[in-house]
Amino acid sequence: MQVHIVRGPVSDRHAALLEDNYRLRHRIFVEQQGWQALRRSDGRDVDAFDNADATHILLTKSDQLVGGSRVTPLDRPNLLQTVFSGLVQDDLPADPSLGADWTRFYVRPDRREGRRRTPESAALFCAMMEYALNEGFTFITFVSSLSMVEHGNAVGWRITPLGEPALVDGKATVAAWIEVSEHALDNVRRATGMRRALIPASPPTRGPSIPLYAH
Amino acid sequence: MNADLMNRIELLQRQEDADGIHKVVSDTIGHYGFERFIISGLPDRGVDVRPFVLLSGWDDEWYKRYTNLGYVHLDPVARNCFATTLPFDWSDAPYDREGDPQARRVMDEAHDFGMNEGLCVPVHLEGGMQGVVSLVGRTDWLSEQQRLELHMLALYAHGRLRFLNTVQTDRRRRAISPREAEVLKWVASGKTAADIAEITGLSARTVNQHCENAQRRLGTNNRLHTVVEAIRHKLIAL
Repeated sequence: MQVHIVRGPVSDRHAALLEDNYRLRHRIFVEQQGWQALRRSDGRDVDAFDNADATHILLTKSDQLVGGSRVTPLDRPNLLQTVFSGLVQDDLPADPSLGADWTRFYVRPDRREGRRRTPESAALFCAMMEYALNEGFTFITFVSSLSMVEHGNAVGWRITPLGEPALVDGKATVAAWIEVSEHALDNVRRATGMRRALIPASPPTRGPSIPLYAH
Repeated sequence: MNADLMNRIELLQRQEDADGIHKVVSDTIGHYGFERFIISGLPDRGVDVRPFVLLSGWDDEWYKRYTNLGYVHLDPVARNCFATTLPFDWSDAPYDREGDPQARRVMDEAHDFGMNEGLCVPVHLEGGMQGVVSLVGRTDWLSEQQRLELHMLALYAHGRLRFLNTVQTDRRRRAISPREAEVLKWVASGKTAADIAEITGLSARTVNQHCENAQRRLGTNNRLHTVVEAIRHKLIAL
């Protein structure tokens, strides 16, 4: 598996990957999870926050897109403070420039088989924390079903709600922030058995893929 | 968000063992009128539930009976976890009282153990695994907001327990022998193999062997790396 950090200006190779990402997101968030507000006739989930400020963390396996996430700055217009502002009652833990909003986390549905945490979701969790540390963020916000609180805690992350949980379209939903630290990266690696850094130190290029797991 | 709930969430995440979680959960659910509880994964049909139990706050007698007799596979409350994402009252778990005598037996026996009412929080894990946090007590007076708060607390407790469990397994896998730990402590304080041999009365060859064994167990590259990892994982204290 390979992690790609995609942000503007987008190379040709990444443009194709980004297009796959928009289509897969539509399939998952609109067609499967029923998020009707995102439905588009062209079958691509692209919203106002898929702009030049967004960073996409995309995961491929044998050149196929298998999972992804979007990270948007908190000091520019973002989902947390617009669409989901009703879920936020408390202040952010620090200046917005020190954090980022984590949105559109997904793993390709056919990868979610078997009774275990998928290597894809483990890799995206590790990559997310690694990316946040590399960028110098101190916190990551998210809005999600309450399950995310459990999944984050299970990899040793400290998660603090930004407001009361609420029922949104019949689902228990919460806005919260995750503490970014070396400790959090160490914990998620230990909990998932990840043994290596996923994000290339230099600007991402297409390199040979290294096995993710040591065993 | 209310300060008390925030404090309890913070406290839960700082616990380092199941006993600590037990205390925080007991105290917290007490404020909502609940007493006993259980936190567990739900096994596939026919599989023993005991290895899946993360924390039992049930009566010993009921716990033994429930696990020995495989009640988890008959219990309508446990079954209903697979059908919903929101917390539900035990009394709302559907089953056929006439056509399903086994389910009825579990419900009736629970009742006899003083567990006639409760709130069940289903926990959806990655990869389709299913967990549960079940609280014993009256639910009729709970507001929607209180239900959401209990839902969230239950998930924090379940997640933290799951993390502590994986880390413990990790620690066991990484364990080094007391002799290896002793040798590494001397390495950490700058002693050479010859120094350590003299201090411990072992041969220099044995000292080196202990270092190499520790290195293999920890999956490290050299002596320095081994010492750093041993300190990081608190296998040796300086």
